[in-house]
Amino acid sequence: MLTQQPAIVIERLQKSYGTIQAVKGISLQVQQGEIFGFLGPNGAGKTTTIRCMLDVIRPTAGTIRVFGWDAQRDTLSMHQHIGYLPGDVRLPGKLTGKQIIDYFAHLQGREPVLLHDLVARFNVEMKRPLKGYSKGMRQKIGIVLAFMCNPEVLILDEPTSGLDPLMQKTFNALLLDEQARGKTIFMSSHVLSEVEKVCHRVAIIRQGELVTVEAVETLRKKAGQLVTVEFGDAVAPGELERIPGVSDVTQSNGSYHLHVSGSMNALIQALSGHEVNRLLVEEAPLEDVFLKFYEVPAQAASVTR
Amino acid sequence: MATASIAKPTSPAKKWGRGLPIARASLANTTIPIASGGAYAILIALLLGALAPSLAEVDIGAYLSSNVSTGILGGHITHLGGMTVILAIYLYSAFYGLLFGGIVAYVSGVAIPLTIENGTLDLALSRPISRTRYYLENWGAMLLAAVILSLLTVFASWFATLFVTHPDLDWKWLWITQGMQSAFLFFAVGLGMLLGSLSHASRPAGWSAVGIIALGYLLNTFGGLSDKYSWLLKISPSYYAPGIDPLVYHRLIWWDPGVLLVAGLVLGSIGLIVFNKRDLPTT
Repeated sequence: MLTQQPAIVIERLQKSYGTIQAVKGISLQVQQGEIFGFLGPNGAGKTTTIRCMLDVIRPTAGTIRVFGWDAQRDTLSMHQHIGYLPGDVRLPGKLTGKQIIDYFAHLQGREPVLLHDLVARFNVEMKRPLKGYSKGMRQKIGIVLAFMCNPEVLILDEPTSGLDPLMQKTFNALLLDEQARGKTIFMSSHVLSEVEKVCHRVAIIRQGELVTVEAVETLRKKAGQLVTVEFGDAVAPGELERIPGVSDVTQSNGSYHLHVSGSMNALIQALSGHEVNRLLVEEAPLEDVFLKFYEVPAQAASVTR
Repeated sequence: MATASIAKPTSPAKKWGRGLPIARASLANTTIPIASGGAYAILIALLLGALAPSLAEVDIGAYLSSNVSTGILGGHITHLGGMTVILAIYLYSAFYGLLFGGIVAYVSGVAIPLTIENGTLDLALSRPISRTRYYLENWGAMLLAAVILSLLTVFASWFATLFVTHPDLDWKWLWITQGMQSAFLFFAVGLGMLLGSLSHASRPAGWSAVGIIALGYLLNTFGGLSDKYSWLLKISPSYYAPGIDPLVYHRLIWWDPGVLLVAGLVLGSIGLIVFNKRDLPTT
């Protein structure tokens, strides 16, 4: 359930390494009970932002607050209520899954009330030394470590990395279950289709700057629809391109493929004047919308020219 | 101060945890090096016990009293004879700091960077664990490892007496000598912790600490060669942990271990400040 009071507030966050600015003054808010996607190309500043949230690295400027606690000054209070999954789950090989889970449960100081459910849900191997674990198996341990003490806020860095499709589906179900129980989830991801399925809103960061923060539903509307039409009669050159909302018209194997933004009404009226043998309409993948934001504007312009 | 309310957890979470998990995990990582050091000490002691009667008959007084031997051993011996002298030369001379101090410096240097390499540091600090607590638990674990190694070498000395007919060991002065060496180990821990706090790679940090211990040994060696180089002694930590003087001659400068303890405390404390302030890397 979303409320007015934000769970996470990032204000004018900056992080520099010498002359290199990794994060250039980003500001965003994550509402309570929301699943928030944090997207961007490699090196955009996603992991840097997350590590600033955890106080593992210190911002050059700006503030981060989680439920009102300052991430740098109130670290201990804040960390009692968060669960974290790093982008690369590395664990000491000598220990077993059970030993590493026990160790971090003790550090958290809270009973791992969700442990058994998570172990069963993800079919986690507990008894073998971790050095024998594959990447996916370590990722599952990482997920257990993040969720097991029932934290109010989850901060997840590429959580489905290394998981097979079935486990990805299981993980998505876990996210939705936790969100239904009021948890706030902040996750970075490269798997745009997964983001589309679970996130309420997304922020896209590029070269250390926030490009956009939008609801997934809004982006879905912006994405428009892909239409495939097979005509039984001739179509005048340029006729489809002149229809309002229609763009990217191509033709192959006797069919026309086009992109429609906004209302379909103009297209339907135009098609009504023709003999239509086949008409296929599908939602345009959000991935295309995301990728447009990933591109640097100059590069995007040169591609479209 | 938090002003927002937090959604109540669906199931109440009990306070859960015991002991010092970071310290226990850090101490577990020292098992092999410390056990190796202890085994080596016992081996030396066994050899000493076996060779003591033969060594007592050897007349190498001129060699032992030379400046070169004084430099190498970190102390002046005039005759080779008796269990105590042999123990002083082979276990409690300047070699003690070089060998066992080197072991302790290495494991201390490795302690924190190892947790960066194996991914546990990020996960630990995402819990309600302060960097200070994390560092202090590691420091405490390393000091405990040094104590264990100290006790192992005392045990080795006792073990050696089982093989000698008339062991002339003065236990009071053995414990005092061990105390001096333990002060050196305390220094070595502080040195290792400082270098570890600066590094994200465990082996370079560990071996850098060993290198400084070895450098200190060399300074002590060269400083003992001639009066011209005696100033080198004062800047060598090995100088402040003589083994031969207290064990053989029952001579002691009481503030010597104090120098090492203060130096170890200062180095370890600087390491704590560095660890608290720096950005922690992912690898």
